Amino acid sequence: MEVPILKQGEYLIASVQVALSDQDLLALQQRLSALTGTQEVRGVVIDVTVLDVLDSYAVRILRMISEVLALRGARTIIAGIQPEVALAMVRLGLGLEGVETALDLEDAMEKIARRGKSRSPEGRSTWPPLSRNT
Amino acid sequence: MAAPFEKYLEPLAIEGERDIVSARERVRDAARGLGFSAVELTLLATAVSEIARNIIEYAGHGTISLRLSDSGRNPGIEVVAEDRGPGIENIELALQDGYSTRRSLGMGLPGARRLVDEFQIESTVGKGTRVILRKWKTSTKAA
Amino acid sequence: MTEEELSHRMKVIQFTEEDVARLKKLSPYAREYAEPVIEEFYRHLLSFEEMRAFFPDRRTLDYVKRKQKEYFVRLTEGDYGMKYVEDRLLIGAVHEKIDLPIKTYLAMYAYYENQVASRLRAAFAGHADEAFDVFLSLIKLIRLDMILAIDAYSLRREQTIRQQEEAIRELSTPVLRIRDRLLILPIIGLIDRKRATQITAQLLTSIRNARARVIVIDITGVPVVDTDTANHLVQTVEAARLLGAQVITTGLSSEIAQTIVRLGVDLSRLNTVGDLQGGVEEAERILGYRVIRGEGGSSYLEAG
Repeated sequence: MEVPILKQGEYLIASVQVALSDQDLLALQQRLSALTGTQEVRGVVIDVTVLDVLDSYAVRILRMISEVLALRGARTIIAGIQPEVALAMVRLGLGLEGVETALDLEDAMEKIARRGKSRSPEGRSTWPPLSRNT
Repeated sequence: MAAPFEKYLEPLAIEGERDIVSARERVRDAARGLGFSAVELTLLATAVSEIARNIIEYAGHGTISLRLSDSGRNPGIEVVAEDRGPGIENIELALQDGYSTRRSLGMGLPGARRLVDEFQIESTVGKGTRVILRKWKTSTKAA
Repeated sequence: MTEEELSHRMKVIQFTEEDVARLKKLSPYAREYAEPVIEEFYRHLLSFEEMRAFFPDRRTLDYVKRKQKEYFVRLTEGDYGMKYVEDRLLIGAVHEKIDLPIKTYLAMYAYYENQVASRLRAAFAGHADEAFDVFLSLIKLIRLDMILAIDAYSLRREQTIRQQEEAIRELSTPVLRIRDRLLILPIIGLIDRKRATQITAQLLTSIRNARARVIVIDITGVPVVDTDTANHLVQTVEAARLLGAQVITTGLSSEIAQTIVRLGVDLSRLNTVGDLQGGVEEAERILGYRVIRGEGGSSYLEAG
């Protein structure tokens, strides 16, 4: 099952629709990598709201996608991890260190808007600079 | 005390990575049927995903069977994952975090163990491996 | 209770087919005596002040009398299978529900036994051995009933305790929303895995509902932080981050900070601020609020 990828401004949005097999995840990584690497695409939001399990393999692929895209000069935001799934992930010992996260697609778009066009140096800061308003 | 696992479900063949998705969907349905909370059934489904993946990666194929206990005060599910793969030489080592002989992160067994209430493993080199997971509706694992 | 368990219990109290046969022989007597025995039973019962409260009106009394008569006859009808057990368990649960103390419930049996013994003596005049055997069979059955009643009582108590534990756990970790997208989670008491899971699940649900961006977890009320507790805390923080939120931890006492360092627990992933006030201010800054200090130490917020 191919994951649909939409373009929204300078960002790509990949909306996962059904439980993904390992092959699907790898295919997603390849497509996203191919679509980025231009000035027109600053980043990718992967919406995983529908996934009810993220096991070690899936998490590893998500992390790899983020690393690959960082090398291609793009930012990755994983949006919509369900509370139970997050709990299982941390119990399993799986974090998404270095990968940006958002509550859902709306939150991801907000985070993108807040950060504007500035790109964080390491491509991982979840938060606007603290000095912004002080 | 916990009642015995009296209801056996048809074993599911694990032969390719598509079956990993089927296995966790099946365990999720069973757990929901017993009234597990969303958190508990997700923990269990994730553990099943890990051990199913282990079968594919190390043995190529195997089976996953579910047994249900729903007559007692605290319903539970037992998951039995069996394969006739190469077996595990050093089980203790395989249960350590970060240990892996192949391409996975080695989260499989130690990770699955952390998600369930009871965890058992038997393995004979050259014969195969059997992993048993148990989880109760009201988790019995305190620490 | 399963078929198997029941037959095991029967074995333990040595209740056999012979007992069943003896009890069945009593059936005609039971039918004859049900009326007077039960009437006397309740006369005796109601002569005690504390018992009267359980039978507030005529209707209740008539109802329980009728039930007791049925039970009395039932004792001698054979067929002590699952249906019998379910009825007994139900009776136990009903008594627990009306708060009838179990000691009162069991004490009632004493009067019952006396009544039955004297009737048996009369009915089996001249056959003392037989009367004794029959009585023994009856006592065994009554013993089984008592065991079942106690079972039903304790099951209901366990359920009550479990519900209360659940309620206490939820009360003990309120997730407070103090500003738009800012939550405070004060943790009080010890944290084991079960509680950590519950706290985390509750926090994550709150994050989603409030669309929270920042959470301040205050652990001033956690008396002991060992390696497990610290790991649970790290997991909670990680889980919140997976939902796109950031956690600030406050209230690590001097003792706890030293213990954590001595244990060698890596808390570098935690963003810690000394006290709750500092934590909230930091959170506000992250959210883009500007704290403006006025004259005389007053301060107010301005959305950024």
